[in-house]
Amino acid sequence: MSKWKYVAKRLILAFVTTFIILSLTFILVKLLPFERPIGDDKVRTAYYDKQYHLGYVYRFDKEDRDGEYGELLYKTPVDKGKAFYYYEVPVMEQYFKWLGNVVLHWDWGYSKNYQPNVAASVIIMNRIGYSIRLNIISVIFSVPLGILLGIWAALKKNTMTDHTISTLVMIFISIPSFVLISFILRIFCYGLNWLPSSWPADTAPASARAQGYIIPVFCLSFGSICGYCRFTRAELCEVMESDYLLLARTKGLTRRQAITRHALKNAMVPIFPAILSEFIGILGGSIILESLYGIPGIGKLFILCLKHKDYDILFVDMAIFTTISLVAGIVLDLSYGFIDPRIRMGER
Amino acid sequence: MENKNYSFSPDDFQLIRRDGMITDTKLKTKPTTFFRDALRRFCKNKSSVMGAIILGILILMAIVVPWISDKNIDQVSSSEKFLAPKMFKAGTGFWDGTRKKERILFDPVNEVPALSEKYSVASLKSALIELKVDKEPTLIDQVSEYARGGWVMFETDAKVNDKDCYLQSKPTTFTADGGYKLTVELGDEADVNDSKLGQYRLYIVDPETGDGFYLAGDKDSFSRKYGLLTFDISAALSEKGLSSFKGAVTFEIKSSEESLQYLLIKSLSLTANDGVKNAQELSDISFDDASRMVLSEKSSNGYWSCTGRKGVHSVEVYYCDYTVDTYMLVYGDADEVTYSKTDLEGWISNGWCEYDSSVGPESFKVLSDECPIERVVSQKLNSRTKKLDSIRAVGWNYKKLGYKEMPKFLLGTDAFGYDLFTKSFAGLRTSLVLGVCTMAFCFVFGLIWGAISGYFGGWVDLLMERFCEILSGVPWIVVMTLAILHLGNNFFTFFLALCMTGWMGTAARTRTQFYRFKGREYVLASRTLGSSDIRLIFRHVLPNAIGTIITGAVLMIPSVIFSEATLAYLQLGLQGVQSFGVMMANNQQYLSIYPNLVIFPAVIIALMMISFNLFGNGLRDAFNPSLKGSE
Repeated sequence: MSKWKYVAKRLILAFVTTFIILSLTFILVKLLPFERPIGDDKVRTAYYDKQYHLGYVYRFDKEDRDGEYGELLYKTPVDKGKAFYYYEVPVMEQYFKWLGNVVLHWDWGYSKNYQPNVAASVIIMNRIGYSIRLNIISVIFSVPLGILLGIWAALKKNTMTDHTISTLVMIFISIPSFVLISFILRIFCYGLNWLPSSWPADTAPASARAQGYIIPVFCLSFGSICGYCRFTRAELCEVMESDYLLLARTKGLTRRQAITRHALKNAMVPIFPAILSEFIGILGGSIILESLYGIPGIGKLFILCLKHKDYDILFVDMAIFTTISLVAGIVLDLSYGFIDPRIRMGER
Repeated sequence: MENKNYSFSPDDFQLIRRDGMITDTKLKTKPTTFFRDALRRFCKNKSSVMGAIILGILILMAIVVPWISDKNIDQVSSSEKFLAPKMFKAGTGFWDGTRKKERILFDPVNEVPALSEKYSVASLKSALIELKVDKEPTLIDQVSEYARGGWVMFETDAKVNDKDCYLQSKPTTFTADGGYKLTVELGDEADVNDSKLGQYRLYIVDPETGDGFYLAGDKDSFSRKYGLLTFDISAALSEKGLSSFKGAVTFEIKSSEESLQYLLIKSLSLTANDGVKNAQELSDISFDDASRMVLSEKSSNGYWSCTGRKGVHSVEVYYCDYTVDTYMLVYGDADEVTYSKTDLEGWISNGWCEYDSSVGPESFKVLSDECPIERVVSQKLNSRTKKLDSIRAVGWNYKKLGYKEMPKFLLGTDAFGYDLFTKSFAGLRTSLVLGVCTMAFCFVFGLIWGAISGYFGGWVDLLMERFCEILSGVPWIVVMTLAILHLGNNFFTFFLALCMTGWMGTAARTRTQFYRFKGREYVLASRTLGSSDIRLIFRHVLPNAIGTIITGAVLMIPSVIFSEATLAYLQLGLQGVQSFGVMMANNQQYLSIYPNLVIFPAVIIALMMISFNLFGNGLRDAFNPSLKGSE
């Protein structure tokens, strides 16, 4: 029972952490100087009206001459002798309004300049599919390859094969992602002209779209292949030197039997949680890759929001990244306990 | 089994040192300290030593190169942009400042490749090392000023818009007795670029009144005659009984809802008897070169206007492969420049050159390298006094740009004319300074935090851990972005934000180590002897834990370098100081044309990261007490 109590405790703690972080991020983003939307009067009026209904700005039909509400944000064009004046609500008040909007209506706000007056959830939903698809493909690709390489290196420990694999892994794990992408683009797109040099449009034929996946999947999985390979090799090497494997061999098992029945199973114990958390973790996508290859995912959205100074969407994007990384952490933590019988969760 | 009985008496024993003092003897083995032992074991690991050496070289270069280099890295010099890497003399074929390009349009008039950047023909010719022009022309469907021949392709504009399109010349006057003739060659290719050969009408119309007469087709029907056609305008005029008519030559193309319709015109010429007044106008309206006709339409004073789309079809261009010495292009023989007499006299009095105006340009002789001109092309004498007024001369461009000799950029220059080599290491220096500063702060702060948390445990630990958990839950990219948006992207902000995300790693490592060592017997022994907490922490626990913590701290430097560069790619790069990331992010867009701008810095940073990791791994193994003696 203590196991479930521990899980519940961890989950509640993670929820509280997420809540605190998101609150802090929201307040910090709102504390940034107010960026006025660009666009014609209709768009701007619609934007301010939305903000008014969400409770982030005040709307008056008189100008505040005392400066009680701070700087005038926007004045609607005079229509039939009537104009509206908009002022910013204090940040803490906005925060509580935001909490209400999110909890009660799941309303995360609207875009300002990037896609004026489109709901944040719509923008995210339009984009997150690309990131998820790309990352799932790269996980499917990288996990078996990484683990196989790791096993191979561990079985041939201290031979030429092992040294080659380890050195390559060492090199590729050190190379920053943007460098790797540059090299791949240079060689396969501009040099050999085999692959498209940027993400194909959705209207492109299926074969072109499929080709468009090759480079991003390659770049994304390269790091994880190296990571899994190193991890698997280290784990397997440790298991191979353990006493119980020696016992298995003395009992009369062949090397192959000992490895497949005992060593591999035990080595996989810490690797599975890592895969699981990676599955979640990479949903955030690689911001750099998405921007360099022009993939319309949520990573690219981050840059677009920064460019357009669209901080409301930026906040939602940040919130996604934060939540994903926290969920990945907790999944990693808990799955260790479930998979590895040696770890007794929640025991002192 | 046999039993043996032994009996001993005290006399059987004797003291071995009855008369000497028993003292401790000095150990025969060499004494060693923790760090000395770690160093010894580190040196055994060849790859780590290799990494450390490369790292040392890179760091040394990052310090020394920007300091001693006199190359420009902060003044934008757009004339010097995109120079190729040069180490050896031009013409050696490798790393010699030349750039090879393939399939570039050839400019047949000047007989040079058509470059996108405008250099004078003379300097381009002098800089060309190799030029190979295709023997056969290539047919393309694009308008180019270097194209010859081909067809003007006059096309209806949009499928949906069912409106006939016109191609109309400027109006000119035709007379019945002038012998005006219109010769036009129309193509009859079936399908070009998914559009269909269309039916047309050809007529002369007065654009103001709308009056006119048909040459091909008529009011109700369109013509389908193609090929070389000649129309006698004067004859048509006399038939109508007009002596003179001012009108414009007009092609009308029948539009269709199904597909785009087009008409191909190879050439059009208006001829007349000798001595007509508007001969010049006629020849202006006539054309025989498709590209030139379409290009001239783009300028405001074109002779043809068009309501459809106008393009070219099957124009001939030549492609060429060439190798050019980029340094000669930029720094080579400049164009002719006029210098005044005083300039020349100044140089002569400096002893840089000789010149005798009575002999002329041949008498010019360079005496010193500092002389800005190389050769006098012509001289101009004052018309009255017959004394020298000015000369026109060519010289080396680099002298004008203030260099003593032809500059040499090891890795070439970027889009701003900065030296890539110096710029890279100057940026690396900033990154390293940032990394070391961050590491120092995080090391100290994380150590104290982790020590307190790990040593005291209990409530203190719990609170401190929760705090760390919340802070480390925020992705670093979010922290950095928020910090930069609030405080601007200067060095201090970067330092602050990196510290904010960096110290938790050190703290966690320290805490773990403290948990591991604080329960050991020697700590208990010291506590029993009355040591204070401070003494226990710093004298007994910390020295055992320091190895792992140091390794972690060292490996923080490459992650700081990586973070800085990543942020630059997000357009949030470090401003105000030389930055490696910003330079790389700026150069990224030239990856397809000038790959050296990206590849060289990429190699430098990759080398740096690899050697840092090798070094770190070696350090970790060397500090790991459990690996002691395992070799």
